[in-house]
Amino acid sequence: MKQELYDLADKAIKIAKAAGADDCRVSINGERFVEISYRERRPEGIKEATSRGLQVEIFVNKRYSVQTTSDLRPQALKSFIEKAVASTRLLEEDPLRTLPDPRYYQGRQNIDLKQYDPEYKKLTPESRHNFVRAIEESCLAKGGDKVISVTASGYDSYSEQAHMASNGFDGYVEYTAFYGAAEMTARDEGNRRPAEYNVAIAINRKDLPRAEEIGAEAAARALSLLGAKKIKTETLPIIIENRVAGQVAGGLLQAMSGRSIQQKQSFLADKKGQKVGSERLTLIDDPFIPSGLGSRTFDGEGIAAKKMTMIDAGVLREFYIDWYYGRKLGWEPTSGSPSNLVIPPGIRSVKEIMKDLGRGIFVTGFIGGNSNSTTGDFSIGIIGQLFDKGEIVHPVSEMNIADNHLKFWPRLVEAANDPYTYSQMRFPSLVFDSVVVSGI
Amino acid sequence: MTNMSRRSFIKTGAAAVAGTIAASSFLPKGWPALADEKNGGYFEQGFGISDELCRKVLSEALSKGGDFADLFFEHTISNFLILEDGKVNRASCEVALGVGIRTVKGDQVGYGFTQDLSEKAMLAAASTAATIASGSGQKPAAKFVPLKTKNYYPVTTLLSSVPLESKLPLVQSLNEKCFSLSPMVRKVNIMFHDQEKRLLIVTSDGLKAEDHRPLSFLQSTVVAEKNGRWERSGWNFGGRREFSYYTPALVQELAQKSVDRALVLFEAIQPPAGEMPVVLGPGVTGVLLHEAIGHGMEADFNRKKISTYCTMLGKKVAEPFVTIIDDGTVPYLTGSINFDDEGTPAQKTILVDKGILTSYLHDRISARSYGVKSTGNGRRESYQHYPIPRMRNTYMLAGEASPEDVIKAAGNGIYVQDVANGQVKIGEGDFAFYVSQGRLIENGKLGAPIKDVNIIGNGPKMLANIIMVAKDFEFAQGGGGSCGKGGQGVPVGFGQPTCLVKSLTVGGVRG
Repeated sequence: MKQELYDLADKAIKIAKAAGADDCRVSINGERFVEISYRERRPEGIKEATSRGLQVEIFVNKRYSVQTTSDLRPQALKSFIEKAVASTRLLEEDPLRTLPDPRYYQGRQNIDLKQYDPEYKKLTPESRHNFVRAIEESCLAKGGDKVISVTASGYDSYSEQAHMASNGFDGYVEYTAFYGAAEMTARDEGNRRPAEYNVAIAINRKDLPRAEEIGAEAAARALSLLGAKKIKTETLPIIIENRVAGQVAGGLLQAMSGRSIQQKQSFLADKKGQKVGSERLTLIDDPFIPSGLGSRTFDGEGIAAKKMTMIDAGVLREFYIDWYYGRKLGWEPTSGSPSNLVIPPGIRSVKEIMKDLGRGIFVTGFIGGNSNSTTGDFSIGIIGQLFDKGEIVHPVSEMNIADNHLKFWPRLVEAANDPYTYSQMRFPSLVFDSVVVSGI
Repeated sequence: MTNMSRRSFIKTGAAAVAGTIAASSFLPKGWPALADEKNGGYFEQGFGISDELCRKVLSEALSKGGDFADLFFEHTISNFLILEDGKVNRASCEVALGVGIRTVKGDQVGYGFTQDLSEKAMLAAASTAATIASGSGQKPAAKFVPLKTKNYYPVTTLLSSVPLESKLPLVQSLNEKCFSLSPMVRKVNIMFHDQEKRLLIVTSDGLKAEDHRPLSFLQSTVVAEKNGRWERSGWNFGGRREFSYYTPALVQELAQKSVDRALVLFEAIQPPAGEMPVVLGPGVTGVLLHEAIGHGMEADFNRKKISTYCTMLGKKVAEPFVTIIDDGTVPYLTGSINFDDEGTPAQKTILVDKGILTSYLHDRISARSYGVKSTGNGRRESYQHYPIPRMRNTYMLAGEASPEDVIKAAGNGIYVQDVANGQVKIGEGDFAFYVSQGRLIENGKLGAPIKDVNIIGNGPKMLANIIMVAKDFEFAQGGGGSCGKGGQGVPVGFGQPTCLVKSLTVGGVRG
């Protein structure tokens, strides 16, 4: 299929050039996926499709636009691109909008990121159904008489992407993805029906937990929320569970983008080289992790990927600068978007840490909330477990934390030894000191 | 990838300028503006989708049995136009074309979609959908009867016929207005979005429904500086609106709101933390209803007994002055639909009637399961998804109090003005909404501005705690409201009079 996508990309570039574009960049993606969900021991939904899309970015007369279509019939595509070039001419001039200098394409690592799992081809309708059935069964078994409803699902996909730019870039990737998940709703007092889910995503089938573990963990998580209540507003240490730690870190990342900085919407804009977190906060962007969900050798603009330490022992070192905002700011481009993000794990388990903390909250989920990238203020609802000297006291709900990132990350006191690998954000559980947790 | 979580979420404005902007029309010339019966509909004329072809594909979808099957054809053109640093220097356009084919057996769904509208590709997708059933084949109806409904968003000029040359001055004028209002304004981002969605639904039980759904909004984001401090805010207007909606007076109002909202933040504080009375101002705060009750009333969650509301139908959940409605028929509002994405005509559905829980929000599957008629809430993001029960425009009817009296009655608490986003856990009924702007209430009077605070509550508890409703009902006139559920986003609207909730948990910063 690689050649077919390349031919199509090449054709799109030729059409754009013939229509007068000075330059253009084309990305084509194709995907085949199957998704199955089960409830009450029978399929609830079966969904399957093959799809394609083409995106063309047009640079004409110092003007820029980006156009996407799923209508790839030859005449329709030709007409689409020609009209796109014509309409782009009507925009206002912006000389900084160009393709990247081709020297940034250089230095691409020639390594196998192991993004395609040959096991994909061996999947059958039967094996897919069996996987989901096993997830459902284990969730039902673990949930026992507390089960109100269990939904289990499985997903697999094969995707490929071809990228081509008129100033000498081309790149191709193919990758597989597998996903297993379950959600359970549990019987509780009154009208409360606590629900929790568990999901694992991986590039390789063998990297997923066993179906039985996926289902049982979903049930365990739902059961752990039985009897949740809120406590008095209090200042406590909190541990944010590995799988959800990325949600809070998202508030930092938002402020690290070139656009946020150039548009004066970043509280980190003038903090390069300064402390923004405690010594425990090291954030690495590592595009080369084998089978990592965010692994790549080039980014969306074709810029060769490199490993970067974004925050080093609390000191902000790098931003996500794409070609355009780099030119606007007069800065070197790094990359416009994160690949895999790593916070190095610590040595102790969450359990051990809990023992030392006294009273605190283990945050296992968030609800609502937002983060203001201009000021760094954030406020977000939490779901989790109140603990005391290592023992769980009871689950908490209807509670919230609010802080400012520049005051919050300096209170990161420890990272646990449990990096989460089913995400682009491979974070361990994170421990923060003295957080105002609002409740009653 | 599918989002397993039932923690449905919402946002009231467009996402930050994420990779998108607006260009012009790419409709091939000569395509019909609207369906015309004599010559066949939009999809028949443009893509050769005849009744005969539909019957063939539906037969394939029912080749292993099933209760019914349907086809959802879609052709959507979305444009974004973006102004940054004083120039309209970025545009984007996205064209989506495809058909989704669904086979339903009881509460089980088989689904396939294709972007290729050839007979061969559609038959292949139909045979995928058919696999949900395993009986003997059924035949679709011999005739498809066109659905006739009211039009809640009539347009005289198609958005796609508005040239880029006309949109540019609109965007530029808003930028200029924002800068002219205060020397503290440092950056202005403007986004104009317009979308035309054409769809055709053909069902095996003999219905054919074709719609043209316009959607547009104009949004400004203002960044201001005062004594080295930076703040950002913005506003948007829109809905199922045509271009003529965006008048100079509207631009003036939008600029004023955006700038005022940014500047007031220099005085704003984060409020104290803990439980306190909360007054919702009129309009966009209807997000609270969407989260606190709307999602929990979606019938799929109740059919599966996973909503906290699943045993409360017919019971008293609120005071008699509380009536809450989900309505697809409000002219030009973002969540309005002439019929839903299964071909059921839109209607006004009363969720809470004078305090009594009255009806869930149904699609065809849940309606059948409850033995009632669908309420016209079967919606989907696109042809790539099958429909599920979703809200349209959700609002509370006006009461009799004056807004001042409501604020006075709160004593000490929080006044909520703007809400940016929200989320709910269906089973617990716990919900959150993010207040981007509001005021403290001190001794019954509005006090200092507040910002960036998440408010948490529990749906049934909150409903019971609504103790006063004012007469100042407003619909939110923003066009960017989008609700996410099961990995699908659909446009929704809100409305709300000023009302007082006795107690909610405010996620402030001080203990």
